[in-house]
Amino acid sequence: MELNQANKAHRTSKAGASAKKKKIHQKGNNPKAFAMQSGTRASKMASRKLEKQEKKYHVPLVDRTPKIPPPVIVAVVGPPKTGKTTLIKSLIRRYAKHTLNEIKGPVTVVSSKKQRITFIEAPNDMNALIDIAKIADLVLLTIDASFGFEMETFEFLNILQTHGFPRVMGVLTFLDKFRDSKRLSNTKKRLKHRFWSEIYQGAKLFYLSGVINDRYPDQEILNLSRFISVMKFRPLIWHNSHPYVLSDRIEDISDREKITANPKSDRTVTFYGYLRGTNIKPGFQVHIPGAGDFSISEIESLADPCPFPSAQKKRLDEKQKLIYAPMSDVGGLIFDKDAVYINVPGNFSQNAKTLQDPDTESPQTNKIELGQGERMVMQLQNTDFIVPDQLTKSDIKLFSSSDPVNINSLNLNENNDTQRVRRPYNGVNSSISDDLSDGEDSSSSIDSDPTLGSSDGSDDEGIAYADTDSEYSFSSDDEQSGPSMSSDSRFADSFSFNRRISLMDLTNSKNSKNTKSDSIKEDLECEDSCRYSIKYENLDNWLTQDAFNSLKSKFLSTAFEDSTTKQEQEEDEYESETEENDYSEPSSESLDKILDGKNRKKNSKTKSSPSNQSPEESADENSGDNEEEEEDSELAKKKEMLKRRFDAQYDNKGINPDDSGNESAEGEDLYTLQKAEYQRQLDLNEAEFSNDSPEIREKVEGFLPGQYVRIKVENVPCELVEFFNPNYPIILGGLLPSETKFGFVNVRIKRHRWFAKILKTGNPLIFSLGWRRFQTIPTFALYDRIKTRMLKYTPEHMHCLATFYGPISAANTGFCCVQTVSKVSTNFRICATGVVLDNNQSTEIVKKLKLVGVPFKIHKNSAYIKNMFNSPLEVARFEGAQIRTVSGIRGQVKKAYKSPPGAFRATFEDKILMSDIVFLRAWYTIKPKKFYNPVTSLLLSDKNQWQGMRQIVEIRRDMGIKVPTSYNSHYKPISREQRRFNKLTVPKSLQAQLPYKSKPKMDKKQKKQSYLDKRAVVLEPHEKKIASLINELNLINREKSVKRKMKDIEQRTKLLKKHEQENQISENKVKKLRKEYFKKQGLAAANAAEKKKGR
Amino acid sequence: MFSGVKILKFSGHSYFRQRVALSLLSSLPIRIDDIRSDTDSPGLKDFEISLLQIAEKITNGTNIDISTSVVIKPGSLIGGKFYQACAVSRGLGYYLEFIISLAAFTKTTTNATLTGVTNNSLDIGVDRIRTVTLPLLKKFGIETGLELKILKRGAEPLGGGEVSLVFPPVKKINPLVYADPGYISKIRGIAYCTKVPAQTANRLVESARSVLNPYTPDVYIYTDVYKGKDSGNSPGFGILLVAESTTGGLFSSEITGSAGSSAEDIAKHCAAMLLAEIEKGGCVDSFHQWITLLFMTLCSQDVSKTVFGKLNKFTVQYLRDLKTFFNITFKLVPNNQNNTVNVSCVGIGYSNINKSIV
Repeated sequence: MELNQANKAHRTSKAGASAKKKKIHQKGNNPKAFAMQSGTRASKMASRKLEKQEKKYHVPLVDRTPKIPPPVIVAVVGPPKTGKTTLIKSLIRRYAKHTLNEIKGPVTVVSSKKQRITFIEAPNDMNALIDIAKIADLVLLTIDASFGFEMETFEFLNILQTHGFPRVMGVLTFLDKFRDSKRLSNTKKRLKHRFWSEIYQGAKLFYLSGVINDRYPDQEILNLSRFISVMKFRPLIWHNSHPYVLSDRIEDISDREKITANPKSDRTVTFYGYLRGTNIKPGFQVHIPGAGDFSISEIESLADPCPFPSAQKKRLDEKQKLIYAPMSDVGGLIFDKDAVYINVPGNFSQNAKTLQDPDTESPQTNKIELGQGERMVMQLQNTDFIVPDQLTKSDIKLFSSSDPVNINSLNLNENNDTQRVRRPYNGVNSSISDDLSDGEDSSSSIDSDPTLGSSDGSDDEGIAYADTDSEYSFSSDDEQSGPSMSSDSRFADSFSFNRRISLMDLTNSKNSKNTKSDSIKEDLECEDSCRYSIKYENLDNWLTQDAFNSLKSKFLSTAFEDSTTKQEQEEDEYESETEENDYSEPSSESLDKILDGKNRKKNSKTKSSPSNQSPEESADENSGDNEEEEEDSELAKKKEMLKRRFDAQYDNKGINPDDSGNESAEGEDLYTLQKAEYQRQLDLNEAEFSNDSPEIREKVEGFLPGQYVRIKVENVPCELVEFFNPNYPIILGGLLPSETKFGFVNVRIKRHRWFAKILKTGNPLIFSLGWRRFQTIPTFALYDRIKTRMLKYTPEHMHCLATFYGPISAANTGFCCVQTVSKVSTNFRICATGVVLDNNQSTEIVKKLKLVGVPFKIHKNSAYIKNMFNSPLEVARFEGAQIRTVSGIRGQVKKAYKSPPGAFRATFEDKILMSDIVFLRAWYTIKPKKFYNPVTSLLLSDKNQWQGMRQIVEIRRDMGIKVPTSYNSHYKPISREQRRFNKLTVPKSLQAQLPYKSKPKMDKKQKKQSYLDKRAVVLEPHEKKIASLINELNLINREKSVKRKMKDIEQRTKLLKKHEQENQISENKVKKLRKEYFKKQGLAAANAAEKKKGR
Repeated sequence: MFSGVKILKFSGHSYFRQRVALSLLSSLPIRIDDIRSDTDSPGLKDFEISLLQIAEKITNGTNIDISTSVVIKPGSLIGGKFYQACAVSRGLGYYLEFIISLAAFTKTTTNATLTGVTNNSLDIGVDRIRTVTLPLLKKFGIETGLELKILKRGAEPLGGGEVSLVFPPVKKINPLVYADPGYISKIRGIAYCTKVPAQTANRLVESARSVLNPYTPDVYIYTDVYKGKDSGNSPGFGILLVAESTTGGLFSSEITGSAGSSAEDIAKHCAAMLLAEIEKGGCVDSFHQWITLLFMTLCSQDVSKTVFGKLNKFTVQYLRDLKTFFNITFKLVPNNQNNTVNVSCVGIGYSNINKSIV
């Protein structure tokens, strides 16, 4: 092949049309062409621009990301065999220059100076996917391009949508499987557009071509890592209000003896991880999805295992490219609170090779001569008597005739189950095509051996509270009263700076103590009042002049008054300036005075408290001032004082230093104001406790997000530790106080349009709501502005309400539902999504109840109805209720009737018939079932085999029960007999009164012959003659008239013919005339034209 | 699975009200033992029963078990319209404070009508709640629709007063940043009397002004004379004084007249109490420290800070109970210069979970 193909260069034409063609825009654009042409258009454009700008705004959220943020959680999610592990390995290799053999649990790396990343790989399990969706900050969705989208991807995207959408980046893998470049680009385009329609237009989709050395190409990974590093994360509301920890290490620290005594006893477990979200304190309730609710017994802040570089450098050193993955056995040292674990790979183990890192492993290790002790340990491992091995080899003969049973035969079925069939996504109703399903074996046998730390129970007592009975009585009962100055100093003395913890301890001391002190005052009956506890003494002192002088400084009208001693005033000014920062800038002339006052104040402070200032003292110091200056400044000061007073009274903004942000933002829009407000609060949050000791901060603030913490939880089920699998994420999700409560949750729910079936009331569903995953039984309903009416099934394409019993969660929390977490079907598994509307302890769902009865006796408008109720008592309950017949006659229940029991008298607006059916329409309140079953998938050895309550259809199928049918509910052909009504008969008396018009007429033909018909009529001879004559005359007359008619017609046709001929002639004449006329005209015109020409 | 639900145990009848309120807010069940067990009449008193009746009306699903000990399993706060004839052994302030501490977190607007004693010497009077407590809540962002109407006044011992409180729920409480006490700029007051000559009110006003006028000329005391059937069942009079600072701080004092006391003495006494209260300093007066602490606790996870004059015993106990129920610790730093205490805390991020969005 020739590499450098030289193409013929293009020659521009130098002559001809194209060369002559006018070159446009040679001198730049015509400025007039782009000037404003129309005012309307310009205003439209402006408003459109504004609208577009407005659309960009989002509701401002508080960004609670701490100064040292916790690592960003990057979850790598995708169906099996799409290259998740390879991707993580490649990225870790890129960040930490470290090749991990296997990814177990979260892996934290320092990716840049300001960013750390925790990678987590999602196993193909609905439970894990749901959990990861709740904590991930960024999701890398791996998609096998050679196969296309799989159901898991879409399921996961739908889970993400309901739990606050984190950032998502798609990663297309296996692009090297395409031979044809055309097909490759088509596939890329198709997948990209499908991906965009699911996330947003322009969502980032990465293409990773082939695998080199078990890694993706370095350049592509570098690009990907750059995208990750510049990613900005919008805070999710859930993360902003809940603390959570993704545990990257767990240790069982429960008492060994207790475990040996009872291996199933509850454990004490410590979880390690970065704290994320908000602050957390000991005693906080946490939910571990898949395990249950627990209460934190102890939190400890540990040294950050993956710290940011301490010195600010341009780029990371190799040393600072740390990696922390305790579950994947990276880095030999693990620091605990009370122990350091050194992971010595394979010194005493035969299988050292498999455990060791290939980088560190040297071929020499095995050849080193071993000590005797070491050899003994090694030999122990060689023993044949390993119980599991034996189990596999041994077989049991249950019956003498039967084949021996061994463990392989038992495991046979399990192996078959683990065959995974790929679930392609082809729209919704996708069916699997056999040639595509290559049936991979995804049964990755993961040996779950949690490193069980043998550290003894480190039961640290909380900070011991000071025994403050005496202090307590002093402080609380020592109510300061009156302007007695001596007691002030005592107060100040007692709570001097170094004793401020004692004040906090005092107030926070335990309840048991206070009950003791209460018991002293138990005799006081009505103590439960704040007012009662406040007593004043020496109230008369307040009416004296001394009191006036001491209090003056607190009143606006007297505080700035020119009092007898200037010293005092200056002092007040100074105080107000420094403490309250009332006035933005003191004028230059008052500044030196203030400074002067400051010095003096310092002096006076050493002597006594400031309010104790005596006038004589200050007067002495003031004596040296110049008099002339004084006059000028006095006037100015007076003015200033008045101005200040005015400001203080009317201009509130100037006074409050906290409003300074608002002041600057005045005139700006609400959005900026709100953001400024949030920022101000965040600054305050940071500043308030920055100078306090860690103990105080811990007590007041709790542990801050970003810290690496060790959380001790007691009473953890032993299965969590025993069946611990690092591939499944363990999350400690903090619960707010109200979220631990249970009640009925009203939600708005919609069946997912890709879910194949509609959902039925009474069928259990697994909800993922808040941190929790739980199974519960929803009752579907619709609200029609009067009542909430139960639905048997969810509507097909509409939202409906649902009520279920479960943990109360705030309104607007999103959730999604699945029917099962264990089965993998080819169908889409997310069956419904929705939001919480409301929580309550009772429900108002009703269903229709129709009580049917029949009349057994009818008077005019009242009737006696039976079969509706069973006893008079029931009737009594429904007295006055509205009833109705099928034909629509309305009525009312009146009173119970003696027999049959349950019969009653009712009145109707019209007389009803015996054949009528009477019914009473009522509403029956339904109470949803109180069923709550948390999905405890983490407590299983096989995490994706959690089995909850079965669906009704499953129970029926398993137990062979047919669908119960009621005979009355069967649909039968409706046969309606033609109803025959009796003839309407109007009574004779009434008929007589009616006018003739309204009288019933005897219109019908008489069947019987009438009297006249029956009689024969015979003519007389004379009459006969007359009759025959008349007949003849009539005949003649008829004949004549016929003849005349014929003649008339004949004459008429003749006449018409004649007229026609005449018309023809006249028409011809006219034609001729016209012809001649136009001929003449034409000639004349031609002549005229010629004449013109001739001229 | 529900290992988190623990029952909090208390003993003794003291601080009964705040524990019930905090239990309903935190939805932690409580058990209070030994209620007046060593007295002649053990068990709950009539006013505590009234309180529990209110608790039952303002919530849904609350389970209250009463014997010598009380067990309360809190339901959810729903609010709504209700009426309660309160025991006259305590003033309506006792019950209103309880309702106010809960009503911000209900499902629907609380519209409570209470009858009983409006003003007594033991509890905070209804005027004080109207003029000081409710305006204080504005600083926490609870503003719109808040209203307390005094329909009838009822003095001790027979009562007969009637008030109606309208309190719309909020979604969340704003953090309080209020550390500037400012200066007292004006003094307002209410002198009221029922079933006594209307002149009494004027006498109260006169003598209160005589004490307070030197401090500030902006003193205005309203007279509030109830007549006829609006004046309850017993004669009585009293005065409430409220000092307002430039930054919106409110300091108050009140006294109800007892038999044989002269109006002038009472007014002077009350004015002196107001001055004593102002002298204590801080941004919030002694009577409203507890409610400030409560709402500071229940605000979003942000720092709230304010200044108190002196912590009184009630406040100290309230702090302890807040710690028990919400596990919150306040940072208290005494300021030696003006004998005040700087109070700051991080809110627990409480939000009104009962409020529905439809």
